Amino acid sequence: MTDLTPTCAFGEPTPRTHRIGALTLTEDAGLGLASLALRRDAPAPDLTLPGPGEWAATGDVAVFWTGPGQWMVEYPGGADRDVAADLALRAPGCAVTEQTDGFVCIRITGAPPALEALLERLVNLDPRRCGPGTATRTGVHHLSVFVVRPAGDQLAILGPRSAAQTIWHGLDLAATRQARVA
Amino acid sequence: MLIPHPLLGLRDASEFTYLGDAALLDRPDGMAPDAAARFHDYVHLRDNPAGLHRELWFHEQGDRSWLVVTRNTLTHEILGAELARDVKTGGAA
Amino acid sequence: MSRLTGGLIDRSAALSFTFDGRTYQGHPGDTLASALLANDVRLMGRSFKYHRPRGVFSAGSEEPNALVQLRRGARQEPNTRATVAELFDGLHATSQNRVGTLAFDLMAVNDLVAPVLAAGFYYKTFMWPRAFWEKLYEPVIRRAAGLGRLSQLPDPDAYDTGFLHADLLVIGGGAAGLAAALTAARSGARVILADEDFRLGGRLLAERDPLEMPVPDWIAALEAEFASLPNLRVMRRTTIWGTFDHGVHGAVERVSDHLADPGGRVRQTLWRITAKRTILASGATERHIPFADNDRPGIMLSGALRAYANRWAVTPAAHVAIFTNSEEGHRTARDLAAKGVGIAAVIDARPDVPKTEYRTLHGHVTGSRGRLGLRSVQVTAAGRHEWVDCGALGVAGGWNPNIQIASHHRGRPVWDEAAQTFLAGPGGPVGLTVAGAAAGQGSTAQALASGARAAVAALADLGIAAQLPALPVAEDQAPDATPLWHVPGKGRAWVDFQNDVTVKDIALAHQENMRPVEHLKRWTTLGMATDQGKTANVTAIAVMSELTGQPIAATGTTVFRPPYTPVALSVLGGGDTGPQFRPRRLTPTHSWAEAQGAAFTEVGPWMRAQYFPRPGEATWRDSVDREVLAVRAGVGVCDVTTLGKIDVQGADAGAFLDRVYANAMASLKVGMVRYGLMLREDGFVWDDGTCARLAETQYVVTTTTANAGTIYRHMEFCRQCLWPDLDVQLISTTDAWAQLAVAGPRARDLMSRIVDGVDLSNAGFPFMACASLTVCGGLRARLFRISFSGELAYEIAVPARHGAALMARLVEAGADLGATPYGTEALGVLRIEKGHAAGNELNGQTTAQMLGLGRMVNPKKDSIGAVMSRRAGMVADRRVLVGLVPVDPAHSVVAGSHLFAEGAVQDTDHDQGWITSACHSPHLGSAIGLGFLEDGAARMGEVIIAANPLQGQQTALRVTSPHFIDPDGGRLRD
Repeated sequence: MTDLTPTCAFGEPTPRTHRIGALTLTEDAGLGLASLALRRDAPAPDLTLPGPGEWAATGDVAVFWTGPGQWMVEYPGGADRDVAADLALRAPGCAVTEQTDGFVCIRITGAPPALEALLERLVNLDPRRCGPGTATRTGVHHLSVFVVRPAGDQLAILGPRSAAQTIWHGLDLAATRQARVA
Repeated sequence: MLIPHPLLGLRDASEFTYLGDAALLDRPDGMAPDAAARFHDYVHLRDNPAGLHRELWFHEQGDRSWLVVTRNTLTHEILGAELARDVKTGGAA
Repeated sequence: MSRLTGGLIDRSAALSFTFDGRTYQGHPGDTLASALLANDVRLMGRSFKYHRPRGVFSAGSEEPNALVQLRRGARQEPNTRATVAELFDGLHATSQNRVGTLAFDLMAVNDLVAPVLAAGFYYKTFMWPRAFWEKLYEPVIRRAAGLGRLSQLPDPDAYDTGFLHADLLVIGGGAAGLAAALTAARSGARVILADEDFRLGGRLLAERDPLEMPVPDWIAALEAEFASLPNLRVMRRTTIWGTFDHGVHGAVERVSDHLADPGGRVRQTLWRITAKRTILASGATERHIPFADNDRPGIMLSGALRAYANRWAVTPAAHVAIFTNSEEGHRTARDLAAKGVGIAAVIDARPDVPKTEYRTLHGHVTGSRGRLGLRSVQVTAAGRHEWVDCGALGVAGGWNPNIQIASHHRGRPVWDEAAQTFLAGPGGPVGLTVAGAAAGQGSTAQALASGARAAVAALADLGIAAQLPALPVAEDQAPDATPLWHVPGKGRAWVDFQNDVTVKDIALAHQENMRPVEHLKRWTTLGMATDQGKTANVTAIAVMSELTGQPIAATGTTVFRPPYTPVALSVLGGGDTGPQFRPRRLTPTHSWAEAQGAAFTEVGPWMRAQYFPRPGEATWRDSVDREVLAVRAGVGVCDVTTLGKIDVQGADAGAFLDRVYANAMASLKVGMVRYGLMLREDGFVWDDGTCARLAETQYVVTTTTANAGTIYRHMEFCRQCLWPDLDVQLISTTDAWAQLAVAGPRARDLMSRIVDGVDLSNAGFPFMACASLTVCGGLRARLFRISFSGELAYEIAVPARHGAALMARLVEAGADLGATPYGTEALGVLRIEKGHAAGNELNGQTTAQMLGLGRMVNPKKDSIGAVMSRRAGMVADRRVLVGLVPVDPAHSVVAGSHLFAEGAVQDTDHDQGWITSACHSPHLGSAIGLGFLEDGAARMGEVIIAANPLQGQQTALRVTSPHFIDPDGGRLRD
């Protein structure tokens, strides 16, 4: 193991977390990510690959659709592992790219109505398309992010790691204002 | 505006980046003997129709698909959208 | 106090407020206008041009007269309509557009010179002398005609944005809108009901017993049912101010404008509402009838008098007269009489006046008296005049449907001859239907029924079955119409109160041939004030029609555009200000650099370390010179993460890159890097970077920081739109890897201490080599031997979370080698010294040939831009990149200067090029520059002149190689 000490996306040694009213925002610094793209004539990978706009947990990983023939594979707790190497074994002949540190992942938990109210303030998406089992790339505060809804009471926003501060600002402010109105 | 993404349904135009005339799909062969003349037309000449127009939009804050959108430039009515890849290869992959 | 009985105000609570420094009392449920009337305040403002005394004219958002400045200090908001300002305890309002007091406005002198200020006076009066416009006329006019004033202080309030989606949006919460929302919500459809008022009901609240049951009871029952329907969202205090393509609407919700202090809430929210169908139930606005001196405080719309009496329990005067051309005026008279208000007379323009329990006269109102408020009106019938004493006059001229939003796209209003109104025409927003009074369905029963029917039809379109609900029995007297557009006469008769446009002004426009409505509007400024002529436009069109003899249908209308009512720029801005104004991207070493005391600079959205000052360094130049020399003498470390990184994989990755880059990439060996040049399809240089082949089917390419997004988009265009047959996949990895440049003669020594067991000798890892390896005891990394500085250099990439620690480790591990962090300034100096092109040189107007890279455009293959780069005009360009040093080392080199031969005339015909980049070179001890110069390669040693006419500089420069450092490239290969 390396003796270098990693920093979280906010430049801090520990993940950021904030409880605001009915919502809790937490940086998931442990999430490993690798992208998968089908190649011509490659055999079908040994993974469940969900359809457009969908997210699905499958065994020890979760997979969401990112584009035609393209998926992102989530490895919970896998940030310190070479998850791309693992995915390459499961998907031989596919294009696999390490993405763990390409994104900051902010998980938001709360009752479904509170999460839906938050989404209203953040993304121009029909809430019917943001139910459990969906993953949608869209814009938040001019940034391109994935809005992932693993379950009714869980939401994850994955955005460019370099813009973590801007994304947190947007989420935290929206949650704070929501708490004041509620 | 809303753009009917063929895979993702109606999505707000703010997620997209506009390029222009879908004629850009038909890039001439750069090694052809008449390449200079054909590239002149390809790069510089565009129709600017008042009415139906096929144009390229990139789903930048989305699935990164290039779409061919058929739009009425007079009314902004959008008659349809296809994946540019399908248009180029002559049908759904 | 002029309070009447009843009304929808809460008498159990008193609210204190001030207007022009005096304190008054009102009640919850009041608007500022109703509360002022209840306190016998009729004079509320001054008109725009003539500074005429004005009072409240309407009871809604169409108000042209009663504009006030609301709140104080930084929260001061000008031009607020008192008729829609919800009263709160502590409300502070002042009148505006006056010099002196409201009652004695010094600017009222304008009224005396009114003949000079007639239609078109701006265009006629201030044309000469020409120079006077900027210095004299405009400042004076702006001072005199400004209406309210901004606070000039930063806005202390917060604003928010949000997005809503619905099957059906119902605009307006009056009879039609309530019926539509009820019908739709019961069907299970997702419905939004938005109303600008703080209380649902619209015109129902303003009328006496329009329903079989009390209106508040019916609305309370509805609201209870609404609250139980999760698929319905009721948005009060929300104005739909515009409709846009495909069912997208702009809405502003006034979240806390009715509170003294927002208390941590946002002030307003900008909603973007996307609805599959829309019902516009925006009601109607009453017309007035222009007559001489019809603008005195106390003269108002007849329906407004009813609204104040019925909803707010106030009357502007104890004795009121009515001027009407229909039953409407009598309705007002009866409602007021029922509340105990004295009816001085109803002046009915119709020949057959009804028998009434109050005095009714046939005739016209032809004049008024009362300097600061109405005292009497002159009634003329059959040539006989009579003065009728009254403190207020209600004017009922018919109703104009509020069709603005239905006309926001291309919908031209259509004149309905039978109804004598404009109705929404074809070509309006797709999916929008109009209901209720806005559709000419003006009785309560008509409005209710049309709202419900419209909802059923709209939902049927979406495949949702909705049932017509049982609706209360309602009054069914549709407004009749015998138009009386104005009372002819000699005096000034106002049509547009806010912009002071009179019937005479329209006649003058007609006389001066400004007859089309668009010309009329601009010549007279009709309808161009903050109220957009809601009470004026149709009347003006009718007056013009009368003058031209053309029917109203042929006269036409001007078009309506958003916003329906004024929208604060702050809420359109969405609330992100200061550092959060736009997204900021931070490099992986940002927190480390902050701890080092770095100065930062914005590079697009990125914040990058600019330089790292040390104690004792007086200026930034001291720091930058030290950093540059440290790199040249020892080793420096710089975060270059911001360069775009794109992972390219596939069997055809090499073939694909061959077509994207001007130079060949398929031939690149695994484990090697090549400089890559990208052209635009028009042949000019677009971007440059490096292309590393990590495996047979995997390349990693870099782009410049600025073009990271556009080049990725372009490569996806190439992949999807041009060559979808190629087996290639792209994905951006810019953020995933922290990339640090390690440069200087000791770079190898430093890197050897970091990498795990890899031979970095020149033989083992030569110039332009790359490898995937591990560093610092097993951390996966990518190492590239590339150089931007001209020194022996590497770029090392590690997962971004380790970037800060790696930076710290490199500086620490290389302390004995002089390891020095350097920022973007030193990076720039190093690359200029080396003669590397960057953004200044790749500015979209330069060719590969100009950069000395012409031979990189491979003629043996097709690539983007290759064909066009061989155009005769581009090939003939003789300018090439050169280095420039001042003949006198004390002189500076200024980027942007243009280059001329010594003694040549300095004009465009003799222009030989320009300077792209300049800096102080600590290595040479003088300024240096890069530039494009005609035939530059053949002019080494020649002295030329750099002209900087902006600062009057003429500097003699000597032409040199652009490679100030190590022109043979020995250092970076050793």
